[in-house]
Amino acid sequence: MKENINLKELEKKAYQFTFKDGIYDIAWGALLISIAIAPILREIIYLGYIIFLVLPAPLIIILGKKYITTPRIGIVKFNKTRRKAQKRIKLISSILIPLSILLVILTAIGIFPGNLGAMLGGYAIPVGAGIFAIVFLCGAAYLIDFPHFYIYGIIIGLGIPVADILHNTIGPPLDNLLTFGITGIILLIFGVFTMSQFLQKYPIPKEEIPNAN
Amino acid sequence: MPTKENKTTNDIQTLNSVDKLIHEPARLNIMAHLYVIESADFLFMMRQTGLTFGNLSAHMSKLETAGYIEIIKEFIGKKPHTMLKLTEKGKHAFDEYRKQMKQFFNEI
Repeated sequence: MKENINLKELEKKAYQFTFKDGIYDIAWGALLISIAIAPILREIIYLGYIIFLVLPAPLIIILGKKYITTPRIGIVKFNKTRRKAQKRIKLISSILIPLSILLVILTAIGIFPGNLGAMLGGYAIPVGAGIFAIVFLCGAAYLIDFPHFYIYGIIIGLGIPVADILHNTIGPPLDNLLTFGITGIILLIFGVFTMSQFLQKYPIPKEEIPNAN
Repeated sequence: MPTKENKTTNDIQTLNSVDKLIHEPARLNIMAHLYVIESADFLFMMRQTGLTFGNLSAHMSKLETAGYIEIIKEFIGKKPHTMLKLTEKGKHAFDEYRKQMKQFFNEI
């Protein structure tokens, strides 16, 4: 008989349980690897490389949650505070992500950054993009209470200006491969390891359970 | 003037009046989890409480009969799902239980 049930800790534990599948680490690892090989893809399929930047991560998250996670741990609806925070993130993402993709396309075809590119010794854009990534992803980490987003934010936020510096020293494709490739592979391996543990610990139940997919 | 004997009698009375339906460890676990979330399906509750489906089902039946939980069909996406949720009566009963247990442990 527990003297004191810490309900706040119980709720937090239940919430963090939904992130134990490693899917977000796999998705972000895949995204970083896509960024790493983007210059190579651009040579082969020109602007079509943007599909490889945009599609893999969301697909991994959506399909992974639907076909791997939910059949193993079920479905939960958290309280209004949690749901409000997640809605806020979805709204902000729905504006910022298409905007970022548009900026990538405009940069690729040479329209952006124009005169802005000359500011701060030519580093205004990568530094600005890096700060934006850190602020957005760390904000997301705080709002959705998932600390891994702090790591994603730092990797991308620091990676963009570092890749730009390496672009001027060692040139493509090694600049992106070194900056994002290494961290992407580490994150992917960590995510796969987490998922393998998750699959072992939470097999799909053999017994008939109402609405277990 | 409150004597030690009177105090002990009060403690026993507090314990006796505790909701025995909630007091059972598995059901306390179920109620506590449903208290902190809005709703969950059977599989999520099984994973959180460590109970088998049969065990969980049995305890859920008792709590449903008492009016503490309800089993509802909710649409998540386009698919209906069987979800478990604490009723207002259940929330109130759990709050009362917490108050009584806190009072009991504060007094000893």
